[in-house]
Amino acid sequence: MTGEILIEVRDVSKMFGSYLAVDHLFMNVRRGEIVALLGQTGAGKSTILNLIMGTMAPSSGVIRVAGVDPYASFKALKGLLAVSFQTDRLLPWRTAVENAELGLRILGKSRAQAREKAKEWLTRVRLEGSDHKYVHQLSGGMRQRVSLARALAIDPEIVFLDESFSQLDHVTSRTLRDDFLQIAREFNKTCVLITHRIDDALEMADRALVLRPPAKVALEVVITKEVRADPSQIASLHAQIAVAMGEAVNTEN
Amino acid sequence: MQTSSRSEILADHKTSIVIEDVELEREPSAAATLAKPLTRTAAPRLGPEGLRDIFATCVVVLVLLAAMEITSRFVPDYIMPSPVAVWNAAKELFFSDPYHVAVTLARLAVSVAIAMVAGVLVGLAMGIFPRVRPFLKAIVVIDTGIPALSWMLIAVFWFRNSEVRILFILLVILLPFYALNVYEGVRALPKELVDMIESFRPSRWQVLRFLILPHIVAYIFLTTKSVIGYAIRMVIFAELVASAVGIGARMNLAQSTFRIDQVLAWTFFLVILNLLLQALVNGFEKIALKWRAEASIR
Repeated sequence: MTGEILIEVRDVSKMFGSYLAVDHLFMNVRRGEIVALLGQTGAGKSTILNLIMGTMAPSSGVIRVAGVDPYASFKALKGLLAVSFQTDRLLPWRTAVENAELGLRILGKSRAQAREKAKEWLTRVRLEGSDHKYVHQLSGGMRQRVSLARALAIDPEIVFLDESFSQLDHVTSRTLRDDFLQIAREFNKTCVLITHRIDDALEMADRALVLRPPAKVALEVVITKEVRADPSQIASLHAQIAVAMGEAVNTEN
Repeated sequence: MQTSSRSEILADHKTSIVIEDVELEREPSAAATLAKPLTRTAAPRLGPEGLRDIFATCVVVLVLLAAMEITSRFVPDYIMPSPVAVWNAAKELFFSDPYHVAVTLARLAVSVAIAMVAGVLVGLAMGIFPRVRPFLKAIVVIDTGIPALSWMLIAVFWFRNSEVRILFILLVILLPFYALNVYEGVRALPKELVDMIESFRPSRWQVLRFLILPHIVAYIFLTTKSVIGYAIRMVIFAELVASAVGIGARMNLAQSTFRIDQVLAWTFFLVILNLLLQALVNGFEKIALKWRAEASIR
């Protein structure tokens, strides 16, 4: 991968009082790349997301997103970043299409423009016909699709998926994951996938960074098409990642 | 069966059984009753329990009327008139005094609207600006501790115009209800939603417009439903103390001329007025909160 570096994290540490959450972390993400941050609960994945999003400042080190400090220049990144969260976080008083257009409205698009774009994205995530349903009328998978449409509708440079598929059942999770991957490749989106599921990382990411507390990179693996096509290599990577994460290795994998 | 993640159980306890918008009209078996979930999301409809409530209300009204009729036979008219006399007085007032009803209604509407706007602004300021919060909270809490009667007497001293007096009295009495409930509404905003909207890097105004204001609408309706009866009582008191027109003033006149039939007729109108206003607010609430899946406990 030789694209321009969009996210640069250089020697970043984060302390919460005396608790060290991130310890001298180095990582970069290039344009168009899908990078997975893998780790168990408490590995510091969400802290890294918050640091890159600029919702908290690092205790030391430098973070650059699209060339700017995301914390100091918070507003400068408006429209460049979008997050799809673990839970759908939809506004219950808005319909599916109104939720999908939220980011566009915040970016200052007119109601008509936002509505058109939101409908287009709902169709892309296979939710046509459910535009005017309220949140309580949608299933868990449908809500997560709306959440994804809301994130993608603003056409962000970088999309963060924060355990976005982990609360869905296996089949829905897999379908949604495949849909997202297709969209990300089609629109050459840069994605940071935050997950504890090794399978998600191996099937979606170009590169996986395995984190161990306090958010230190314990292992970095590159997942090429060739690797993905070879079950024995995937099984071997799965085992290596599991060991690096501190998980017991499942020999069946 | 879907249950809302944020299902709220407010005042409505209706019993229609709805699964995925399909109402089950048959009598459920014991096993089906046990299998029913504890909560259900449904648009409440007038079911058997609603009809039972109406029936019970009718029974109570008939018992009261019978008690009035019996008592009226043993005591003078100025102590307890018969229901027929009260009914005749009500008919007379209905045609002779609609102006006073209109004045009271207008005062009520204007006062509640102004108290609502001011209370919502104070509540929002308490919720959004941490620096002013303790000061506003102190003012509101002190306000809640001052008896309504004190405000009425103070208003008589402070203001010459009776309309200003009534508006002032209702404003200072109702404002804390709105302010405190809206403040609680802002505090109850799920952090997940705040983080979500913050991820789009909105302006403060956009957070208010897209997140906070829609979220507090339910709290505004809840407050309005809670205070409407109280507001009617307060406007009547205020008119009794500080005005020559309006239902309160007419009740004062009826009392001073020993027309207890008219006092009871006005009371009857006030009960009806309260029910109509509650129904009106409920109607608006249903429209404004149509997105909400209502939950009821089995």
